[in-house]
This record gives sequence, structure tokens and C-alpha cells, in this order.
Amino acid sequence: MFSVLMLRHGGAPILRLDDPARVSRRPARLPGRILVAVAACSPIPLLVALAIVAGSPLAPRWIVAIVAAGGLAASCLVAAAVAAGMTRSLAALERQRDAFYQEMARLSKAASLGEISSSIAHDLNNPLAIINEEAGWLLDLLEGRELDQEPVRREFESSVAQIRVQIKRASEFTRRLLSWTRDADRVGGPLDLNLLLSKTLYLVENELAEAGVTVVKRLDPGLPGVAGNEAELRQVFLHLMKNALDAMKGAGGTLTISTEVAGGAVRASVADTGTGIPPEILGRIFEPFFTTKPEGYGSGLGLPISAWIVERAGGRIEVESVVGEGTMFRVTLRAATAPRAAAAPVGGTHEDRPAAARG
Amino acid sequence: MRIVRLLLVDDETRFVETLSKRLAARGFYVEGAYSGQQALELVASRPFDVVLLDVRMPGMDGLETLQAMRKLQPLVKVILLSGAASINAAVEGMRLGAVDYLLKPADLDDILAKVDAAFEKKRLEEEQAGEKRET
Repeated sequence: MFSVLMLRHGGAPILRLDDPARVSRRPARLPGRILVAVAACSPIPLLVALAIVAGSPLAPRWIVAIVAAGGLAASCLVAAAVAAGMTRSLAALERQRDAFYQEMARLSKAASLGEISSSIAHDLNNPLAIINEEAGWLLDLLEGRELDQEPVRREFESSVAQIRVQIKRASEFTRRLLSWTRDADRVGGPLDLNLLLSKTLYLVENELAEAGVTVVKRLDPGLPGVAGNEAELRQVFLHLMKNALDAMKGAGGTLTISTEVAGGAVRASVADTGTGIPPEILGRIFEPFFTTKPEGYGSGLGLPISAWIVERAGGRIEVESVVGEGTMFRVTLRAATAPRAAAAPVGGTHEDRPAAARG
Repeated sequence: MRIVRLLLVDDETRFVETLSKRLAARGFYVEGAYSGQQALELVASRPFDVVLLDVRMPGMDGLETLQAMRKLQPLVKVILLSGAASINAAVEGMRLGAVDYLLKPADLDDILAKVDAAFEKKRLEEEQAGEKRET
């Protein structure tokens, strides 16, 4: 028997079927909310998709029709009609959702660059400041006109040597920064997740040290390559690491980055010993625009975009958290046995991604 | 006019050493500290006029140090130094009582101008405090 008991609108839409276990609810995403219910309308399982565009009142009159129809056969018929009609709009909404996330991922990439630019400025300006003072000191010495004296000569040599040390420090930093952006949108070939995590960690290393956070790396050296877009996955892990850092700010703690083989997949975990996420919030953290950060700090898009990126690569992202003990995000990705082009993730290949997303 | 007592705080040791030499060569009394904690120990033991304080340091950062420092010596003038242009930190620093803000790398003339202005401000405040005590 297939009947709808309740459909609430205004808040989160709830669709209830006879057997709640048979209802798979995809997390609400996007401007509109997409609810997919699998109706076990024996003998033909039907997919009933409800697409409720944000703001519109109880849109699918279909549901009322199903309830009114009552009988099993009639229900199946109506449900079939619903499925046929809704599949098209569902596909359209899915396309819209993908376009939305693609754009958001591109913007968030720019935003995370904005966030780390303060770190970058710090890492470059410190050696520059030292070079500046050493060069200034050299000028001071020149004005003193005692250059032939041995102590002054030693001062001179020390400053020149220090300038070279600092130039080396700055150029090493820019080289590492470039390795972060270079081959970022490399296509093909499985990704080395351990390397990707280490490179990502480098970007937040200073901030972690300043916050008194100890980093523990437990990377499985025998890890197979994974499927996914390198730039996008770095964005995911950068986001998880920055979240972990935020959760430990003020008190310090331990950030544990680990990788392991999990069945046929590869799993990476980012665990902190921070404040933890209360259970009432934990279920909402992947919702777009949900944030607990003060205004101006969190967009509420970091985790939804991360989840979208991981799911698009055929993987999944999970979270465990205990208030006062910490939070662990686990990202499970498919092991790439074939080049990525041959194992294109569900929901689109790189070819149909806008060129802007590759910049 | 008495000698200005400066405290220079930065985890970049070479920066502290060289800038100290340059400021000392210009007639300042300069002491250096390489962490917030070390700076507080110095401020607790003797008076300073102006403190040049780095914002981003491991352990106790500049803003925490600033707050603790002002409890120890309420009249001391703190100029924040930062390698990262963060308007948030500048605004927060001023709210917590810093008198000014300098971006690294900074021109020595700018440093000197801000130190002079900060010292002048402190001197005036001390005079006013002195007059109040006399009346």
C-alpha cells in the first residue's frame, strides 16, 4: 500500500510513506529542495521525486492525487505518472544543482585563496622585513665611515649573509606556493592522496603552530591512487583542516591526518581535539548556508561544497563528533585502478565542466 | 629630554636584533623579546615607553600580549607590527588599546615617526596625571 501520510511545507518538507525505512531522503540542497522517495509499490518499485522549489507552496498536486486515488492499482498508476512527469524536472533541478555547486566551488576556491593570502603575506613579509632591516643597517654602517675597521667589516658580512638567507627563505616559500597551484587541474592519472594531504597541510602549518596545535600524520605508504580532481580535493582538505584549526583555536590540541585502505576504497581522516559539534547541529553541517561562525567568517558553504566535490568523485564524506573531545571527518574515495578519464565519476566528466572552474 | 625606552617583540630573532641595533644607533634605549611571555616578564620588571609588538607569534600572540601588558603598565604605548595585512587584527588591536599599527616590512622613518608620536602621547598623559596629583 502506498499512501502519503504527511507533507509539510514551509519548514523542511517531510514526505512520509507507509514504511519510513523505504524512504531515502537525500539531504536537501540548493535553492529548491529535492526529495527523493522510493516507493515500494509492489511489484514495480517506483521512484517518486518531489521537487519543491524554495518559496513555492505545496507544489506537487500529485501527492494529493495519490492519496485521493486510494487503492493500490490506482496509486501505482498515479505514481507512475508522477514519476514520469517528475523525472524530467528532477533532471533539470539536478543540472541546476550541479551548476550551482560548480559556481560555488569556483567562488570558494577564490575565497580560500583570500583566506590563505594573509598567511602568504605573513610568510613573505617576514623575510622581507629582515632584509629591509639588514639593508638599512648596511646603510647605517656606510654612513659611519668606519668600514676599514674589523668589527664593522664583520657586521657588514653578517648582514649580507642574512639577506641571502632570507631571500632563500622567501623563494623557497614561493616555490612551494607554486607547487600548490601548478598542475592543480591536472587531468588523468590517479592522485597520490598522501602527497595531496602533505601539500595542503603546508598551507596551514604556520597557523597551526601559532595556535599551539600539534600535527600528527599517519599516512599509509601503501596507499593506491584515488579518483578525483586534485584542485577540488585540496580545497576539500584545506577546508577540513581550517575547520579543525578553528575548533582548536585558543586552546591548542592535536590535528591527526591519516590515510588508510578501506576495502576497495581509500580513506583519509582529518581529526581534531577541539570543541566538538553538538548533536543537534551535527545533522545540519552539510546544509548550504548553515554556519555557526560569526557573521563575516563562515559562508556556510564550505562543507556542502566539500560534500558535493567528494560525492561527484564517487566518494563520500562522514563526520563523527563528541562535544569537548573533538571531531573527525572521514573522506572515502574510490581507488583509481584505471586513469581517471576511463573512470569518470557519476554526475559529469571533466569535459562538461566550465573552463572557468579550471582557472 | 629623556631617552625613550623601547621594547621590541617579535619571534623573528634576527629582525629584533637588527632593528634594535638600528634604533639604538639613533639614541633609543632598546630591549628585545622573542615571545609574548618574555615581553611580559620584561614589562613586569621595568618601565618602558613604547612597545613594538608583532601580532602573529607562536604561543601567546600579539593581541593577548597587548592585553596582559596594559594591565602591567597601563600607560605604555603599544604599536602593533604585522606581516599580514589584516584589517580585523588592526581594528581589534586598536580596540584593545594599541596606539598604532605598522605593516612589515616597514620603513625606518615610519617606525621612528610612530614611535615619536606614541612617546609624545605618553609624555602628555604622564604630565596630566602629574598635574592631577598636584591639585
